[in-house]
Amino acid sequence: MKVDSDGTMEEMDDDFEVEMATLVSSSPASMKTHITGIWGIGSMVDLSSSCSLNRIVRRLLKSIGIVIFQPKINLLLPFGPLAIIFHYLVRKHGFVFFFSLIGIIPLAERLGYLTEQLAFYTGPTVGGLLNATFGNATEMIISLYALQNGMIRVVQQSLLGSILSNMLLVLGCAFFSGGIVHYNKNQVFNKAAAVVNSGLLLMAVMGLMFPTVLHYTHSEVQYGKSEVSLSRFSSCVMLVAYAGYLFFQLRSHHKLYNPINEEEGNNEDDSDEEEVPEITQREAIAWLAVLTVWVSILSGYLVDAIQGASESLNLPVAFISVVLLPIVGNAAEHASAIMFAMKNKLDITLGVAIGSSTQISMFVIPFCVVVGWMMGKDMDLNFQLFETATLFITVLVVAFMLQEGTVNYFKGLMLILCYLIVAASFYVHVDPSANDG
Amino acid sequence: MGSVNVISQHEFADESLVCPVDLARKGLPANEAEYGFFSDCKQGFRIKYLQGRLVKSLKIVMFATKINLLMPCGPAAIVVNYLTAHHGWVFLLSLLGIIPLAERLGFVTEQLAFFTGPTAGGLLNATFGNATELIISIFALKNGMMRVVQQSLLGSILSNILLVLGCAFFCGGIVFHKGQVFNKSAAVMNSGLLLIAVMGLLSPAVLHYTHTEIHFGKSELVLSRFSSCVMLVIYAFYIVFQLKNHKVTSDHVDEGCNQEESADNDVAEISKWEAVIWLASFAGWIAVLSEYLVNTIEGASIAMKIPIAFISVILLPIVGNAAEHASAITFAMKDKLDISLGVAIGSSTQIAMFGIPFCVVLGWLMGRPMDLNFQLFETAILFITVLVLAFMLQDGSSNYFKGLMLILCYLIVAASFYVHVDPKSNGDKPPPS
Repeated sequence: MKVDSDGTMEEMDDDFEVEMATLVSSSPASMKTHITGIWGIGSMVDLSSSCSLNRIVRRLLKSIGIVIFQPKINLLLPFGPLAIIFHYLVRKHGFVFFFSLIGIIPLAERLGYLTEQLAFYTGPTVGGLLNATFGNATEMIISLYALQNGMIRVVQQSLLGSILSNMLLVLGCAFFSGGIVHYNKNQVFNKAAAVVNSGLLLMAVMGLMFPTVLHYTHSEVQYGKSEVSLSRFSSCVMLVAYAGYLFFQLRSHHKLYNPINEEEGNNEDDSDEEEVPEITQREAIAWLAVLTVWVSILSGYLVDAIQGASESLNLPVAFISVVLLPIVGNAAEHASAIMFAMKNKLDITLGVAIGSSTQISMFVIPFCVVVGWMMGKDMDLNFQLFETATLFITVLVVAFMLQEGTVNYFKGLMLILCYLIVAASFYVHVDPSANDG
Repeated sequence: MGSVNVISQHEFADESLVCPVDLARKGLPANEAEYGFFSDCKQGFRIKYLQGRLVKSLKIVMFATKINLLMPCGPAAIVVNYLTAHHGWVFLLSLLGIIPLAERLGFVTEQLAFFTGPTAGGLLNATFGNATELIISIFALKNGMMRVVQQSLLGSILSNILLVLGCAFFCGGIVFHKGQVFNKSAAVMNSGLLLIAVMGLLSPAVLHYTHTEIHFGKSELVLSRFSSCVMLVIYAFYIVFQLKNHKVTSDHVDEGCNQEESADNDVAEISKWEAVIWLASFAGWIAVLSEYLVNTIEGASIAMKIPIAFISVILLPIVGNAAEHASAITFAMKDKLDISLGVAIGSSTQIAMFGIPFCVVLGWLMGRPMDLNFQLFETAILFITVLVLAFMLQDGSSNYFKGLMLILCYLIVAASFYVHVDPKSNGDKPPPS
């Protein structure tokens, strides 16, 4: 759009600077201003010489400037390459694990940002679809790697932990921070939308639970095999439900969906002004591809290091899968949820948290089962009894809690403490049948 | 379909509703009676008159609805049973044959309710609403197939909550794109009652599965019988409560079942005696077919390679609920979602509070050890489903996606019963006495 020709690039820069000034911290801002200042002046000169190579290089640098150097979280970016270096040099799985974990966090956040940007070009419908799919891209990539390695329990536990973390930790932090900032009153949110969303989540979780219940009541026709086929059938059914869910949200209930569309990138504070994309469509796609590849690479190292890290750090694999891995995948949503809660836009927060949980339960988990089916791995929906019970109770409790329509910092605190208890219980948890890949 | 009682001229209440053919046919005997062809002709007239009434009654009751095209399946089932003894076919045919009978039973009950006044009418509707399931269960109980009874009643609850409601929401949502609303308080109260009923039903199962009984196997039977009596008392109060305090609700449910038109046209289509006779005959027919049905369950399960659990939980309730299913969908598409909800949840509550305890007590009387110990799997599924339903009804709106989700959940439940087998496949059939 506006970034195509050099003539308008200057105006873009000005608008862009003004917009970004409020959000970006001082040092990168000054660095950026410096850069754009130079380009602003320099573009006039270069235009006359019409050196296209220069233009491309400049655009590349500008793009890098926008995408990489903008938010503070990207200070964590060097950890990625550091993890790879450690993997080859030192062979300490614990460090490799931690560094790749930390290295993925900024990549996941940038992935969300890019999806947001791309959504400008594709219109609200496809944009919503994009957001829905790529919203949990990090978790999906990590899960697919783990699936390929045959670590089925890790997949199950990380996805389940992602739902738990969304419902307890993200919501809890958001409510708590929002409550602290607005300490003199209760924050309200749109009860109807929250209740509808949590009802859908409850149904999705219910659909996921039946194979587990079947297995644990020892009532299968062919022990071990029928639950796999039931899981596969349920997953296909859930994928159909997810398609219906997307259709329903995008077609029938635009209003409900638009706030979620706007919020994903945390670089628009006041959504009243028009949403200006900051990079071109091609740049967005290119960056998307690059970052996805980067996330894949780091996930590979991450997954490979899980076993070793669990031994060297003395943490159960369950704890790593349920608590640590989802923190990575959810970091971006976490940050944006807290930010919106502090700005008293609780509806967006709830939409993010519950929407992400619903997507994981209705799309990512069934998708992993189907992919496992195609890969020939026996991935099923038989989460162990402990996790299943925890998940169901959590979703039920949070769904009931949201019925009131108001929150305060105490509710947030309770949710966070509940998450701590859940995390602690996974710290001392071991699978009854230790059959990790 | 609107027509008037045929009996005599002073009952030509709504002449405007009578169709010309009927009027012509009716006019003749009435005129004859009036102008007095006395003794001889009176005899001849009476027979002809009865014949005319029989034909008319048949026409209203039997040939009025399209679903009665399935009626020949009933006799066909009996024929096949004697000719080939192929259990699969007999089972399917009797299944199909019961469906129209169940629907007509509902219609006839409806009609009878006009004559008996709203109170007894409501009672009648409440009792006979699930007559089909009760009859099938009684036969299964007599055969000693306790698990079939438990599973079919439980499956009926599940099917009402998930399938009937889901189809109603889905069809209504497709017709009304923007979504529909329903009376939240009534729905919440009904689902709360259902939850309480389910909780009462599940205690023996929980007792059994936490291995905390005093006399293993016997205490839960005693507890089940006691709980059933308590539940029947609760049910009696429930009926009293509904009929006395919520006339509006019960009126809705009464007229909901069969009249497609607006509420004020409470005209019975057949006379009281005809209704009673038809009721008896339908009940008898259903009983006959149920016996064939129940006798062939095991054979059908082997012949069609379907687990008995699947047949009991999924197939049998579809039969019993077919009429309610159709009426719930019809009312949802007419934006009368409250009636659909009343039908679906009311039926579930009736089964939970009346049908199941009644079977336990009946089993007690028959000397069968029928108890409330549903297996853990069904118990867990029932509890989860009712909880989720109670939660979902709380916001008072519905749309096609909610309906779709409910239907898909039912598909998953059905699939899990397809791969389900009882942990201890106890042959709970005692030797045939």
